[in-house]
Amino acid sequence: MTDKKRLNMWLVLAFAILVLFLIFVVFPLGLILYKSILMDDGTISFAYFVKFFSKKYYWSTLVNSFKVTIVSTLVSAILGLIMAYVLRSVRIRGSRLLNILIVISYLSPPFIGAYAWIQLLGRNGFITRILNSIFNTQLNGIYGFSGIVLVFSLQSFPLVYMYISGALKNLDNSLNEAAESLGCSVFQRVRKIIVPLVTPTLLASSLLVFMRVFSDFGTPMLIGEGYKTFPVLLYSQFMGEVNTDEHYAAALCVIVIAITLVLFFLQKYIGNRLTYSMSALKPMEAENATGIRNVLAYVFVYLVALLAVMPQLTVIVTSFLETRGASYTGKFTLENYRNILMPKNISTITNTYLYGLAAILMVVVLGVLISYLTVRKKSFLTGILDTLTMFPYIIPGSVLGISFLYAFNKQPLLLSGTAIILIISLCIRRMPYTIRSSTAIIGQISPSVEEAAISLGATERKTFLRITVPMMMAGVLSGAIMSWITLISELSSSIILYTSKTQTLTVAIYVEVIRSNFGNAAAYSTILTLTSILSLLLFFKVSGKNDISV
Amino acid sequence: MSVAIKIDNVVKRFGKDTVINGLSLDIKPGEFFTLLGPSGCGKTTLLRMIIGFNTIDGGQIMIDGKVINDIPTNKRNMGMVFQNYAIFPHMSVKDNIAFGLKNRKVPKDEIERRVDEILKVVKIDHLKNRMPQKLSGGQQQRIALARAIVIHPEVLLMDEPLSNLDAKLRTEMRNAIKQIQRQVGITTVYVTHDQEEALAVSDRIAVMNAGVIQQVDTPKNIYQRPANIFVSTFIGLSNILDGRLESNDNGKAVVRIGDYRFHMNNILKDSGANRPVKVSVRPEEFIINRETQEGIPVTVKSSVFLGVDTHYFVETREGQEIEVIQNSDLDELIPDGTRIHLKVQTHKINVFNEDGSKSLIDRGVRA
Repeated sequence: MTDKKRLNMWLVLAFAILVLFLIFVVFPLGLILYKSILMDDGTISFAYFVKFFSKKYYWSTLVNSFKVTIVSTLVSAILGLIMAYVLRSVRIRGSRLLNILIVISYLSPPFIGAYAWIQLLGRNGFITRILNSIFNTQLNGIYGFSGIVLVFSLQSFPLVYMYISGALKNLDNSLNEAAESLGCSVFQRVRKIIVPLVTPTLLASSLLVFMRVFSDFGTPMLIGEGYKTFPVLLYSQFMGEVNTDEHYAAALCVIVIAITLVLFFLQKYIGNRLTYSMSALKPMEAENATGIRNVLAYVFVYLVALLAVMPQLTVIVTSFLETRGASYTGKFTLENYRNILMPKNISTITNTYLYGLAAILMVVVLGVLISYLTVRKKSFLTGILDTLTMFPYIIPGSVLGISFLYAFNKQPLLLSGTAIILIISLCIRRMPYTIRSSTAIIGQISPSVEEAAISLGATERKTFLRITVPMMMAGVLSGAIMSWITLISELSSSIILYTSKTQTLTVAIYVEVIRSNFGNAAAYSTILTLTSILSLLLFFKVSGKNDISV
Repeated sequence: MSVAIKIDNVVKRFGKDTVINGLSLDIKPGEFFTLLGPSGCGKTTLLRMIIGFNTIDGGQIMIDGKVINDIPTNKRNMGMVFQNYAIFPHMSVKDNIAFGLKNRKVPKDEIERRVDEILKVVKIDHLKNRMPQKLSGGQQQRIALARAIVIHPEVLLMDEPLSNLDAKLRTEMRNAIKQIQRQVGITTVYVTHDQEEALAVSDRIAVMNAGVIQQVDTPKNIYQRPANIFVSTFIGLSNILDGRLESNDNGKAVVRIGDYRFHMNNILKDSGANRPVKVSVRPEEFIINRETQEGIPVTVKSSVFLGVDTHYFVETREGQEIEVIQNSDLDELIPDGTRIHLKVQTHKINVFNEDGSKSLIDRGVRA
């Protein structure tokens, strides 16, 4: 039985958090919905949806989006699956380094991949020029469909890789041995034992890739050229110089939300149906392979990992190259760093760090409180909270950004143009992930530890602060570092919400790329990549493990 | 100093399920009292009502006459030892034990003194500054015990504290627990599903089933004079045989199992006569008779030699399986398939009414 006063403390807290989410999630989304069916003359109709689906110019972007997304997801799934299996079953020298490289390639924003691959395989790309001079042709570079798929696949397979790798770690080797003793060959074993057991994980991670790729606009914007995808249409309807239409953009937002919502439930459904709970007493061990198998394994993993980190390498190298406009002179220089660090202010960099830190702080405090409320203080109110806080999971960044601009551009909630709006949007985007991981952490703490504290005379508040929070700390901290890395590479909502004063690194990179200031872009990207790498190393140190779940 | 606990007609509901419906118990000051029953019988629920983690939905619980229904857990001054020990993993052994004292604003030097004292009592003074994670289950259990009794609680509650230990450590710890409890003299309520453990540590045992108390008694009486068939089969092993109370002359009775008739002199006077009864015979209460035809005719199916004892698994003519335990002697084991007769030690066996709900033994009479 609980002291009435203490119960109220949690109730007040739950209520306060609920109000926050109503203001910053439900209200903006509601507004989008409302705007999408509100005509200029004040009547309600679905005209904007009709407009979208009746003109090929519009609906073809949706078809394009599905095409690139499906193909990229398939390629990512196959690459990720093979990569994970090979690295778990064959002993490869340098596998730890490979692991880190793969994770790093995943953690940088996708559009940097697009811009880097343009540097290599674009019309004027480094590799294109070499090929052109060797074969004396005029290759046009990799743009459009194939370019988008290339960038997305290489950028997204690490996600599948990380998930499958984790699942394989939980697969007890005795299953393999049992199959072998029952007469299965290596390939039969992979097909009949391993693939079925990791299928749920494969599907779940593929759907994550799908959602991520589907809503990304930076990549198709840069490398798509004529190949217009849905997020590009959305962005240009909202931000474009001509023909911007608020209501139409709102309708497009609603369409994206509807699609991601369907995908979300699909993933949940599949995830729930197909999950095996496994925990390995004796995980699979990487073994030395011999002959052609060994050679193939080495070539495959090193090649794929190299392709994956190619954008980062390109960016780092080009950051030291002298540029003249959009082209390189071929000389090495520190000029680019001087350009971005020396002049007036370096607010771009400090903004990134400050906003990231502020958002992380908010996310962690709220995340821990919310997960505690939903796990330990189950009630109708916290049930609503539980559902509500997962909302942002299905809202693409650009939609969140647009809805924020609609919602907070006038009194009493005039936030647009401020740093606060950026921080809150970062906070909300990351919230579902933090809550999920905190919930898992709390789940591992036996309630009797808290009961023990209470039986020893501690109040509920003291128990929470002195027992529960410290016990959660290690897990929460490593989660926070991962969130930090994700937040500093966030583009899709920042690009919509930033002003010249609140520009962050990713926004600056994007803007410089669009302006063809490749030198500055590369220098900014390098700073971002280095920050990510250092944070990642910190994560490994704090969490004491080599695996990552995002 | 020690307190009495009076549990008066308490009710516990979870949603629409009534788990405990009007249960009453009196626990004496300083007593080591055990709630024993199969899992799901409500014993842990009752324990958690005493400490306050579960609300009391009806009736009341009193400590030394004072109703505690509405006192929050952290003000009840009870120590609890949990099944999984619930040691705070981020605190040293010392800080774990000092936690409750700090909450009570005990001065620093006294905390130091009391922690040292209790560490000696539970014999882990050498672990004072260690972190708990690397310690063994037995050591963690001692920390949990020390942490619970260092606050000088009025009542000590233990929820299956030994169930996560291996068999050998379990025996060692249960002796330690009993000895420490004697030493500090706190009224203790102990929950377990392990009957041997309950018999070993308790002053008195309450056997529970489906939220209802079946019997409250000393370990010896619980084992030797169970109140009903549930208790007789839950505590130790009992063979339940269909019998007949043929005559009852003021407690001097004739009982019949099949064709085997025997006299008993401790049947309740008012149990009537010429009625079907259940006869409960523990395996060691049989006497194997190979000389005459007296007794229940059975066939030996198999035997197991266990050193001190030999177990025989036999079958009656009706096909009922019976387990018989005899002290091992130097003779050969009785070969499988041998037909023997079983007599019973009439002063030890128990007789119940037909549905097994009530014992017909008069405990006032020396059999």
